[in-house]
Amino acid sequence: MAKDYYEFFCPVKIVAGLKALEHVPYELSSHGSSNPLIITDKGVRSVGLVDHVTKAMDAAQVSVAGIYEDVPPDSSTSVVTQCARYYREQGADSIVAIGGGSVIDTAKAVNILVSEGGDDLKAYSGAGNLKRPLKPFFVIPTTAGTGSETTLVSVIKDDDTGTKMPFVSHFLLPDVAVLDPRMTLSLPPKITAATAMDALTHAVEAFTCLAKNPVSDSYATAAIKKISENLVDVLNEPSNVEGRLELAQAATMAGIAFSNSMVGLVHALGHNVGAVAHVPHGVCMSILMPYVLEFNLAERADTIGDLLLHLAGPDVYASIPSTQRAEKAIERIREMKEQVYSICQLPRTLSETGAVQRSDLPKIAQMSLDDASMLLNPIDATYEQALEILQQAF
Amino acid sequence: MLSLPKDLDAVDYSFQRAYVTGMMSLISRLLQAGSEVDDDIQREVAALPDGFVFRMEVMPDSPSLMLQKRDGTLHILPKESPIKSDLTIKFKHVTHAFLVFSFQEGTATAFANDRMLLDGNTALAMKIVRCLNRVESLVLPKVVAERAVKTYPDIKLLDKLQLSTKTYSKLVSNLVKEI
Ligand SMILES: [Fe+2]
Repeated sequence: MAKDYYEFFCPVKIVAGLKALEHVPYELSSHGSSNPLIITDKGVRSVGLVDHVTKAMDAAQVSVAGIYEDVPPDSSTSVVTQCARYYREQGADSIVAIGGGSVIDTAKAVNILVSEGGDDLKAYSGAGNLKRPLKPFFVIPTTAGTGSETTLVSVIKDDDTGTKMPFVSHFLLPDVAVLDPRMTLSLPPKITAATAMDALTHAVEAFTCLAKNPVSDSYATAAIKKISENLVDVLNEPSNVEGRLELAQAATMAGIAFSNSMVGLVHALGHNVGAVAHVPHGVCMSILMPYVLEFNLAERADTIGDLLLHLAGPDVYASIPSTQRAEKAIERIREMKEQVYSICQLPRTLSETGAVQRSDLPKIAQMSLDDASMLLNPIDATYEQALEILQQAF
Repeated sequence: MLSLPKDLDAVDYSFQRAYVTGMMSLISRLLQAGSEVDDDIQREVAALPDGFVFRMEVMPDSPSLMLQKRDGTLHILPKESPIKSDLTIKFKHVTHAFLVFSFQEGTATAFANDRMLLDGNTALAMKIVRCLNRVESLVLPKVVAERAVKTYPDIKLLDKLQLSTKTYSKLVSNLVKEI
């Protein structure tokens, strides 16, 4: 079915591959920046990842205005204002975020304050409340999963109310995303697996939900292929540089796909499993994905069947009759989960997380109905259906 | 399948504007009435904060509908009301609003197709979208409604709302001329 209408936008320059970090000084200078503030977290810094970047910059005589390393896993307005103050004190002229989702979201919000002035982050919350470009903004991801380096969204907790405030604007997109295998090489297998399964879910949902379009499809399918071909290899051999780079690129490509085509029911349910039981996001995605695909079969069998080519390769795809491809694609995702489990014990079910109780499920199902990701799922799940999926996944 | 209007030059924006204005006023009234008698709409409305204001508009500044939750039900606010809305859905062009209100494009599809912008709390937006889906499925006969609402709910509501068949058959006949 052809798409009646779609939009696609990704102005992020991707700088990817071996020795990519050494391109950072040139990219900074080409954006008129000579004094960047690095925003990161203590974990990232303690394993020496920030040093890789600063050394490459030192060698090109680029000094940094400072390193802000106090981003917590669940960032909030006070962190953002504190970091913005530090940026101003240090006279920085641009931002380099080095980290995962929370660091990148924080850096996006800091960029709002340091570009627009003031300390009132809330004034910019919501959609379309930024009207002009912000300071030069570079992102160097240290996980291969969230895709935040290519998304126009930041979510920050409001310290006053405890609610999560979204910020949505094209101006939040980074200018440059730098993918260097050195940055993900030391990621432990379990986190590698969870973040890769998040990226796989981004690609699968972008490809199977209502806002899919031909351009985002091409990013999504390429990402799915890279993850299916490389995840198990990387888990077996964590120092596999090529495989690491493939996963990092896949996460970015999946990020481009879902920032244009959005996600669906896996995320609607997973966000709330995370909120209620504090299970890491990628773990939720990995657990729920096959069950939700089965639920979506009724509306999307052909599209899910198309995934098989990218999940299993042309030989398998050609050998399976078209009427069975969708089931086979889901089976293939289950196989991946089993392989990943045997290597690093990534939970396969909600009960295996040890954090979710059966009695939590009704609450999670109820909350999921109000999750915006539900809007673009091919089928609007009812409360009963959402609960049924969670029970299957338990 | 993609299909284009038989005669592209025949797009009549002033007709579309008039139609959308009429539908917005009808939908406002249905939402207000639904919030008094329909269990499904009441359940959604119950979860909205008191004083919550929802606005739907066509860019740049008209037509629009605006509703506020007060004392447990929805109340229509006059267009010129100075109250700031908590949740706004903006169609980028009158023709996109026409697609939605003539049931050629469902609410979810319209979001998927970037026809409109949403500003406000997304959890509350989901409740409003479900109310809109519920109401939209009443306005036109089932066969048309299925195009607008992704998953068709059971409807036994028409009588309760005392919506005259005349009101919407008139709308339908206008539609048939346009499509
Ligand atoms: Fe995700």
